[in-house]
Amino acid sequence: MADYETKKTLDYKGLKCPMPIVKISQELPKVGIGDIVEVLTTDPGSLSDFPAWAKTTGNQVVETRQEPGLIKIYVKRLK
Amino acid sequence: MEGILSPAESAALKELFEKKLNGVMRMYLDTCARCGICVESCHVYASMPEVKYTAVGRAEVVRKIFRRYFRMQGRFAPWLGEVLEFDEATLNAVYDAAFSCTGCRRCMVHCPFGIDTQQVMAIAKALLIGADREPKVLSMLADMSIAKGEGIEETRADYAQALKNLEGEVKAIWPVPEGTSAIPYEAKEADVLYVALAGSHSIVSAAAIMNAAGEKWTLSSFEAVNFATFVGDSGKAKRVAQRIIDEATRLGVKEVAVVECGTAFRYLRHMIGPQKFRVVAFVELIDRYIREDRIRLDKSRLPESVTYHDPCQIARNSGIMEEPRRILRAISDRFVELRPNREENWCCGGGGGLVAMGELDFRMKSSRVKADQLKASGAQIVTTACENCHSQLSDLNEHYGLGMRVEFLSHLVAKALVLPGERFRR
Repeated sequence: MADYETKKTLDYKGLKCPMPIVKISQELPKVGIGDIVEVLTTDPGSLSDFPAWAKTTGNQVVETRQEPGLIKIYVKRLK
Repeated sequence: MEGILSPAESAALKELFEKKLNGVMRMYLDTCARCGICVESCHVYASMPEVKYTAVGRAEVVRKIFRRYFRMQGRFAPWLGEVLEFDEATLNAVYDAAFSCTGCRRCMVHCPFGIDTQQVMAIAKALLIGADREPKVLSMLADMSIAKGEGIEETRADYAQALKNLEGEVKAIWPVPEGTSAIPYEAKEADVLYVALAGSHSIVSAAAIMNAAGEKWTLSSFEAVNFATFVGDSGKAKRVAQRIIDEATRLGVKEVAVVECGTAFRYLRHMIGPQKFRVVAFVELIDRYIREDRIRLDKSRLPESVTYHDPCQIARNSGIMEEPRRILRAISDRFVELRPNREENWCCGGGGGLVAMGELDFRMKSSRVKADQLKASGAQIVTTACENCHSQLSDLNEHYGLGMRVEFLSHLVAKALVLPGERFRR
């Protein structure tokens, strides 16, 4: 499990559909290309949604981590 | 000249328009008698009385294009008026018409000819996609859903682990026997495929209710919502829905139960054609469990007064109106109706993709009539069976300082579940 130098942490816990994806698509362009942001969420579906979103937008989910009550998703801006 | 589209661009848009011109659509475009009955039907007009916010005002934008390109007078003598050419100003008007309409179809209920403005707006949305002017956030969400379907095997194990991590929350509401999964996933011989949303709030209460009812169910890998329907892309909408159709067919379930999400339900129930499974709204499933005495509910746990917002796509557009009321009477002695209600209920104002698009200022101003209706009910809680409505009602509650609590109906039911041997009040 790598440690990432994250530019920011985005707390999306408890948000309703489809706000986590809407918000990451608004927030990621605010960091530099190559930067990584950490997303905190409670949505099981985000484990599939974020990689699918990254694929369609040309970005990358570098890792996901989870424990009861918390999911962390590390997203790298590629473009 | 600025604002004029090239002949090729105009021709492409005309072709897109023509593809939508079936017999019913021609009737909608030719028939309006301008009686004005629909004017007062729209919550946007009732809140912000401008002609462009009437059903007829919106449809008239599309009708003027229709007259220009598909009627004799418009084709040969457009200078006689009542027509619109494809140009920047027209596309702006098309956008305003399409995305100030939530697709609630309250106007259609009142129209003497049954003109479906939402269907007329489907032409507007097709034109916007053709002109690359559609709200990009909606296309992005639809594309994400399609990509999720293509790559689901890569993330299936992570999703399964997340569901295991969530089981404790379900068991806290309704215990399951040792060795039994509280959130069955990829379960063989399930009768019901429950299609949730991304959030745990759309899974936990529903899981507890189905476990309490002894249902043989399994959870879908996919989210129910179909953003392609909001953006008006019928091709993508089919691909988004196909993921669930394929999954339900592979698992051999008898029913697909759709989470509290109006658009998802309406599309899957009415627009995917005959399948080997039935499609039910989760509110229908709860009602069935109560009627068959498969779950018992304690009225004493909901002392506050509660009202119900009929989601347009579930009530007016799918006819599910008595089920939620039977459920509410099973969990509350203090259920009060909104006035008007059922098929006459005011739209929450967040449909048609507006919640996903943001548009907070427009959503709040255009739904003042909804806020007034909620306030007049005097209820402490407003409950609903649609995630989109829940989001909009929550925003209205905050914006207008209504002081209500906004709850999903399934959450209220889960809180009222009676364990075996527990004393309860019917």
